[in-house]
Amino acid sequence: MSIKVEVFSSPGCSKCGHAKEALRKLVDELGEDQIDWREVNILDELDYAVELGVLSTPAIAINGELVFSGLPSVRKLCAALENRPGIEARRDQA
Amino acid sequence: MKLYRIGDITNLTGLSADTLRYYEKIGLLPRVSRSVSGIRQYEERDISRLRFIQRAQKMNFSLAEIGDLLKMRENPQHARDEVRQLASDKLAEVEERVNELDTLRKELQLLLNLCRASEDGCPIIEKIDSK
Repeated sequence: MSIKVEVFSSPGCSKCGHAKEALRKLVDELGEDQIDWREVNILDELDYAVELGVLSTPAIAINGELVFSGLPSVRKLCAALENRPGIEARRDQA
Repeated sequence: MKLYRIGDITNLTGLSADTLRYYEKIGLLPRVSRSVSGIRQYEERDISRLRFIQRAQKMNFSLAEIGDLLKMRENPQHARDEVRQLASDKLAEVEERVNELDTLRKELQLLLNLCRASEDGCPIIEKIDSK
């Protein structure tokens, strides 16, 4: 079962590109089959963003839970993803 | 005990003197005491009652409903079953409104944060323009 990651971005957000880039690197590292990610334009899904508690961009939700409000380092993002059961199981098998 | 004249109450609450007299007439306010010369003298508890009426009116409660709730407010332990039910229903309405307002507050906060952080343009304007 893959992990669902959502990157909340908005027009004019300079750091959102960095967040997406960090996530792409991790997807490359961990495998595309493990991470199912998408970019969420806040203005298109404002209700959903508010429901999760997003107050600024970039923000990152993992499996429907807001985990980062702001731009995380690659290391922190990696740690947050590796703590998820799906990733651990996969790594144990490897 | 501090006493207030009707003009003081209109200043404090924004209610007109006619409205204050009407509330007294229909029993939303108990009979207000009078000075020797017949001038109405309001007390703090009257102001508290009027604030309650104003809040309830903002929630679109009818004057009849407000009257029932005020009776319960005076003596909550001995409220009739139907008044308790009314209070319970109104509490549910208030909680729903609070939730709606809370969502709106968060939405506006988010939009303002995006506006402050944006380097080119304001997402709030874009959101409004798209509707």
